[in-house]
Amino acid sequence: MAFDDILEEARLASRALADYGSGLVRPQLRLGVTGLSRSGKTIFITALIHALLHGTRLPVFEALTSGRIARVRLSPQPDAAIPRFEYEKHLRDLAGLRQWPESTRAISEIRIEIEYQTKRGRERTLTLDIVDYPGEWLLDLLLLDNTYEEWSAEAIALSRQGPRAVLANQWHIHLKSLDPKAKADEQHAINAAKLFTEYLIACRDERFAMNLLPPGRFLMPGDLAGSPAVTFAPLDLPRGESAPSGSLWEMMASRYEAYRARVVRPFFREHFARLDRQIVLADVLSAINSGPEALSDLEATLTSIAACFNTGRRTILSSIFKPRADKILFAATKADHLHHLQHDRLENILSRMVKRAAARSELAGAKTDAIAIAAVRATREAVVTRGAEKLPAIVGAPLSGERIGDETFDGSKETAIFPGALPELVEGENMSWKFRGLAAGSHDESDFRFLKFRPPLVDAPTGGEPALPHIRLDRALQFLIGDRLE
Amino acid sequence: MTRPESFRPDDPRVAVASPDEPLLTRAELREIEAAEAANLPAVIEPAQKKSRFWGKLFWSAAGGLVSLALGLAVANLVQSLFSYAPWLGWFALALTALAGLALFVIAMRELFAIFRLEKIERIQKRAVEVLVSDDRDEGKAVVSDMLSLARTMPRLAKGRAAMEGYASDIIDGADYVRLAERELLTPLDAEARQLVSSAAKRVSLVTAISPRAAVDLLFVLFNTLFLIRKLATLYGGRPGVLGMFRLARHVISHLALTGGMAVGDSIVQQVLGHGLAAKLSARLGEGVLNGLLTARLGIAAIEVTRPLPFAALPRPKLSDLAGNLLPAKKD
Repeated sequence: MAFDDILEEARLASRALADYGSGLVRPQLRLGVTGLSRSGKTIFITALIHALLHGTRLPVFEALTSGRIARVRLSPQPDAAIPRFEYEKHLRDLAGLRQWPESTRAISEIRIEIEYQTKRGRERTLTLDIVDYPGEWLLDLLLLDNTYEEWSAEAIALSRQGPRAVLANQWHIHLKSLDPKAKADEQHAINAAKLFTEYLIACRDERFAMNLLPPGRFLMPGDLAGSPAVTFAPLDLPRGESAPSGSLWEMMASRYEAYRARVVRPFFREHFARLDRQIVLADVLSAINSGPEALSDLEATLTSIAACFNTGRRTILSSIFKPRADKILFAATKADHLHHLQHDRLENILSRMVKRAAARSELAGAKTDAIAIAAVRATREAVVTRGAEKLPAIVGAPLSGERIGDETFDGSKETAIFPGALPELVEGENMSWKFRGLAAGSHDESDFRFLKFRPPLVDAPTGGEPALPHIRLDRALQFLIGDRLE
Repeated sequence: MTRPESFRPDDPRVAVASPDEPLLTRAELREIEAAEAANLPAVIEPAQKKSRFWGKLFWSAAGGLVSLALGLAVANLVQSLFSYAPWLGWFALALTALAGLALFVIAMRELFAIFRLEKIERIQKRAVEVLVSDDRDEGKAVVSDMLSLARTMPRLAKGRAAMEGYASDIIDGADYVRLAERELLTPLDAEARQLVSSAAKRVSLVTAISPRAAVDLLFVLFNTLFLIRKLATLYGGRPGVLGMFRLARHVISHLALTGGMAVGDSIVQQVLGHGLAAKLSARLGEGVLNGLLTARLGIAAIEVTRPLPFAALPRPKLSDLAGNLLPAKKD
């Protein structure tokens, strides 16, 4: 086991050394767009590329506003084995068909070259590499440092808490019937994996919006579906004993190890260990939609994922052998579901959630920030006068099937919506505020309703590209790559 | 707590913002805030400064006496002129009235000039606070004050139009102030540098060739005051006589505060530069030293008169402004 770890470290270091060599010739920046599934990674990347390529309104992004960026273009990516990020298709979906892109099923990559002049006037090119991947796979990082026994105990304990207990009922029944020390039986393993996967998928429903659901490939298997590496499940194991040879326990543990070696480690090595900048997207509003349990689940997930990052101040030695992300931006996505006067409160909630992760990174010397963004802004703002009070509302076309109160939308009608007022969190108070979400009751009883809207109707100026409206995409860009363009 | 709700956009109660319209600020939604304002923390009043009551009383009383004496003298003069010849008296009275009117206008202008300077100082102070707090509404207020100041400066028309175009974007306080600094102050900063640099050159040249110490003393004094006044006018201040006193005082105190901090930039350079120059000739060395001091004072004056602090744009450095004074670079 220890030998494996040393080998892994050596691989990481050699990879970093190769990157450093090529980075000397042309400056590179690997931007990690990290986010759980449905947090808006694909849309963020599409909007970012679009804004850079067409120089649309980004007032806070200094290099572009002051005219120092001469040209931005897409260029062939470095890895031949990874598909290209389908920027053109996603943009057509967004701007042309007014649909959100489908959820990402496999990894993809894109490279952008920015030709710019430094503030002192030298001409340079910055190469920006961005990777898109299914957000489910991110959960695998939590398995990096856990053995099968540890993971089993954790997963079972978690499945007995809160609303998960009900969802996991079927699997719990099957779990009780299994004896870990009995002889290995393929059918038992297949059944356990199936029931466990069903429980994980049930937790993801909009009503519960749980995120802490490793392993990720169970939810989005990619090309691994049906292989032994994803046919295992936690077992109720006795403490302090080791697996008898030939037992179900041993089989499961060896499959778990295979999963870590074949899936988790390569993914971490290829995409996480060598990032220069990180943006962590979190869909806080969906969690609030669901209720306090989903919110604390999201907090736990973000904290444990952020613990896997290599962060810290950049030194020459570190950039040669162990690259670190020296800037991390935590972003609450879909800020357009909220009137802008409430964005501060959303940012407060987010920074409260990532407090521990941010503190750890800052201690290591990395810079962090927490903001509310909408890479593509789907709504406009409005004020509703009702009697003596004025409600800050948003106007947009909710997706078909969305509901608020007793009204169901068909996807074409524009509607003004007051989603509920987020609370002002006072410094020092603890995070738990009491509210009711979808997990607790029916649609008309919850305190917040953040609906999903269709992408905005953008009208292209004659001959030009349509400009996608956004919220604070420019601030995110300035934070993430602004200093590399100075 | 108000429940989530949906409304039709054609409902008369719904006012939809058009995409080009400036975003509304919190002030326009006071009513909502008022309901939640009940549990706001109490505002702590800043401690009162030690009052200088007696000094103030003395100066006001003495000033009153002097004004009375002046009034009396004028009244006596007019009265005695009346006793010589009535037309002479009327003429004197008319002159007095004209003088009074002119004095009133001058006083008003001075007052306005001081208000303007105070406004600039206030904008600067608030901008510093916004850069720290990142408060969106306050940032918006600072920038709109800055824009109203810029309205009198025709060369800022383009930057102003750009800033007004950003009114419908969602930009946070600190970023908004930085954006305003980049859009509005870039051309002014370039000119300010030019002013300081040429003043420094002038001083160093005159000191080097002037025959008497008294001459260069006077020259340096006037040149400096002239420079401060020009910088203040450039950044929208337009100070009068009283305003100049006030400004000069602030510049000197700012210089005293920051002078010691700029070690890396100035002291070494000054000593080295002076030493080198002094080796060549005593007068030349004095000229370089005076030029350097003028440049430093110029930087302090820029920092005092500039309506926004240096956040997005680089702070002028002594070496940029006075680099060409040193003999090594002269040829």
